[in-house]
Amino acid sequence: MKPAFRLSALAAVVLTLTGCASVSIDDALKETNARSEPFTQGKVELSRTKAQRDQRAALTNELLSRPLTQSDAVQVALANSPSLQALIAQSAVNLALANQVGRLPNPILSFERVRLNDELELGRLLSFGLVDILLLPQRLGLSRSQAEQAKIQLTGVVIDQVTQVKQAWVRAVAAQQALSYAEQVNRSAQASAQLARRMQLVGNFSKLQRARQQVFYADATTDLALALHAVTATREDLVRILGLDEAQATRLTLPARLPDLPKAPRDPQEVSKTAAQQRLDVQLARSQLDLVGRAQGFNLLGTFIDVEVGARRDTVFDNAEGTQSTGRGFELDIRLPLFDWGGARRDLFSAQTLAAANRYDATVRGASSQLREGYSAYRTSYDVARHYRDEIVPLRQAIADENMLRYNGMFIGVFELLAEARAQVTSVRRAIDAQHQFWLADASLAAAVIGRPGGAVPAMASGAAPAPAAAAAGAAH
Amino acid sequence: MNNRRNFLSGAGAITGTLAAASVSKVAMAALPEPVLQTTPNTMPPLMPSSGRPYNPVVTLNGWTLPWRMNNGVKEFHLVAEPVVREMAPGFKANLWGYNGQSPGPTIEVVEGDRVRIFVTNKLPEHTSVHWHGQRLPNGMDGVTGLTQPAIRPGKTFVYEFVARRPGTFMYHPHADEMVQMAMGMMGFWVTHPKTRHPLIEEVNRDFVFLLNAYDVEPGSATPKIMTMLDFNLWSWNSRIFPGIDSLNVRLNDKVRIRMGNLTMTNHPMHLHGHEFLVTGTDGGPTPKTTRQYEVTTDVAVGQMRQIEFLADEEGDWAFHCHKSHHTMNAMGHDVPTMIGVDHKDVTKQIADLVPDYMVMGERGMADMGEMEMPLPDNTARMMSGEGPFGSVEMGGMFSVVKVRKDQKAGDYSNPGWFKHPKGTVAYELDGPVPEGPRQQGAGAAAMPVQNMPAKNIEVQVRKPGAGHAGH
Repeated sequence: MKPAFRLSALAAVVLTLTGCASVSIDDALKETNARSEPFTQGKVELSRTKAQRDQRAALTNELLSRPLTQSDAVQVALANSPSLQALIAQSAVNLALANQVGRLPNPILSFERVRLNDELELGRLLSFGLVDILLLPQRLGLSRSQAEQAKIQLTGVVIDQVTQVKQAWVRAVAAQQALSYAEQVNRSAQASAQLARRMQLVGNFSKLQRARQQVFYADATTDLALALHAVTATREDLVRILGLDEAQATRLTLPARLPDLPKAPRDPQEVSKTAAQQRLDVQLARSQLDLVGRAQGFNLLGTFIDVEVGARRDTVFDNAEGTQSTGRGFELDIRLPLFDWGGARRDLFSAQTLAAANRYDATVRGASSQLREGYSAYRTSYDVARHYRDEIVPLRQAIADENMLRYNGMFIGVFELLAEARAQVTSVRRAIDAQHQFWLADASLAAAVIGRPGGAVPAMASGAAPAPAAAAAGAAH
Repeated sequence: MNNRRNFLSGAGAITGTLAAASVSKVAMAALPEPVLQTTPNTMPPLMPSSGRPYNPVVTLNGWTLPWRMNNGVKEFHLVAEPVVREMAPGFKANLWGYNGQSPGPTIEVVEGDRVRIFVTNKLPEHTSVHWHGQRLPNGMDGVTGLTQPAIRPGKTFVYEFVARRPGTFMYHPHADEMVQMAMGMMGFWVTHPKTRHPLIEEVNRDFVFLLNAYDVEPGSATPKIMTMLDFNLWSWNSRIFPGIDSLNVRLNDKVRIRMGNLTMTNHPMHLHGHEFLVTGTDGGPTPKTTRQYEVTTDVAVGQMRQIEFLADEEGDWAFHCHKSHHTMNAMGHDVPTMIGVDHKDVTKQIADLVPDYMVMGERGMADMGEMEMPLPDNTARMMSGEGPFGSVEMGGMFSVVKVRKDQKAGDYSNPGWFKHPKGTVAYELDGPVPEGPRQQGAGAAAMPVQNMPAKNIEVQVRKPGAGHAGH
């Protein structure tokens, strides 16, 4: 067989192989959709054409035409958010880079034309790196690993985004709900201030007694202003994360209340059943370890065994004689490993492998711990929210009812009645906060189960809801 | 229902509550069987069936303790125990008392009687009984630690002395006294004169009751025992109006009322329509020279007062403590004065938060008597009582002396509302109101005023008829 033929046959095989190896962004999105089905309902895609964009805009408009539920919010973000599209496009870049690794360097065709007196020599050399070809299987493996990593990263990005959307939605709805209670407190304060003013007017209250009621109203007004701002701030956060433009933002409406607590919390078995092995962060760490392993042999070999192989065909035209002669042969360039036997590189690579292996172990161990912590946060917030719903709020209601009876009997006056009403409102607001914390923890746990523990696990201890600072005001009186 | 069981008439099983006591049955066998009372109604007088005769008293919302004669000694059995006392219809209190009720039964004896009283303690803590006002051997005076050891729970002590002096007395514990009195441990004692006494008149009706006070949180049932002065229930014989029975008499009856004060403040007792004489104190009958006609007499803390009058005016005559807050049941002491404050539009705002809210007090507190609004469970209304002309708006130490021509002698039943003869009831003027005479300008001050406020403060007065008919 002629060498040329052999070369072209080899080239054909190589081309086929490299063609197989490339992973398209659409494939990656399909995989992401499958992986994050409970999050995205399989709706992630990269819009490239106008038709696609129009379709997504239509979906967004339809979803915005009614109060936006949490899952609707996720769909709007997937369909509408330019930043999410940017992140997906960025993943496409990573995928393309990974695919690039699987491609062979193109062969080099050198052409020489040398004239000496009557002699014209045409030299043709088709050369390529022999090592590249020999290492093609490794190279393809590397490419696949990198593509795999890019896909996992894409899934992670999508889940992060979705979690952020969910949490932003919870915050926005909770703020809105808290506002309506701040308004109630304010109305109560206004009523007592108004009444106190009239009491002073007809001589039943001293200036001091009236001022006490008035100052409460003044405080309540501040709290109301803060609550109003909290509504704007959380809503705008949601608008940003959904990527709404100004027109869309004005059409955004939210439900009046947070969803009720689920009847029962998620089962710890069900959560831990999601084996730590399946988590994205574990997969990513494994794939990184894999990548380092593959790259090690490949890169090490590539540095000190560099063999260029080429087929040469030189044709000499002797014009004087009118003859033509052709010389064939091959060329082999070998880099001599005299100065660098690759010891330093080997150290580098083994260190990298060690690091990757330990990172993998750490990730596996951390994953289950994070899962336990995430579940604890989830479960605590569920229990607290339920305790508010089943114990504290009903108790407050009972207190309010009993106070009403005491007011009837003139055992307490209207100001005490109003103070109690404020206390009741405050406890309702705390109940909303607890519910708010629960839904944040719920989103966070869902992300933790799939392996993106990055979502904010709400700190129960501080009870620091991003609620308006008004919460304590009622209790102080 | 009166299920008083006189131990003289037929033996019977000891009641269930008592059988459960920790007092040994053997020990009890020698004692007069204790008699219990289960209702707070006024019981008819207990006519003496043994011993010296006397004219019995009627205990308002109470009863007289039966006795047995044992070799010429009158034997009584008091059982100190926790009781549930209905203080007014719909309101019951967990008290401590004697023989099923608080206060305990009235003990009636005759001057010169030898009296033996068995006291069984079924309270959770030790007690004793002090015979307030009696002449008796020092060791029978009932002061724990000073004159006798405490009667421990489950134990029975015996007191024995001669009722030497006729008069009006009380009994109450002298052990953990503040607590036990705050819980209602007390009773009345009457020693009738043996023969006609120059200073003690025969009367047709002789009523007795103790003034006592409790602090029961609205909606609860047990008195707060640490309260020193700020009581919220002012009672006669642990009853509050409208739970206090009326004093029903026949026209021209000679009536005696004996009152003892075991509260922590004085009570100016005021009778409408008649003048009375104070004919006796803790010390016995008062000399005639000291008696003067009054319509109000103050009964100081720890004192007894005995008043007498001729019920010669028909009608329903109010009889009450003249401290006006003592004719109120529990009320809030920090409720602001709302008089004259128009809060019609604020009402809506408040009702947003407190859905059942209604305006009260804008015109005074009478709303409270008129409106039938739900109260906490087991709570007496601050003021109520439906009379023939509307709400009486009273509570606490208030009752009515009912004088009737056709009330039979010895009949203590309630004759109903008085039927006024035509033209004897205040009536509404039909026609223009004549301009009344007015004083113009204040009188000269005795001394010039200094350090007046910088400017005159204008006090606004709101008068009825300014468009508040809608409430």
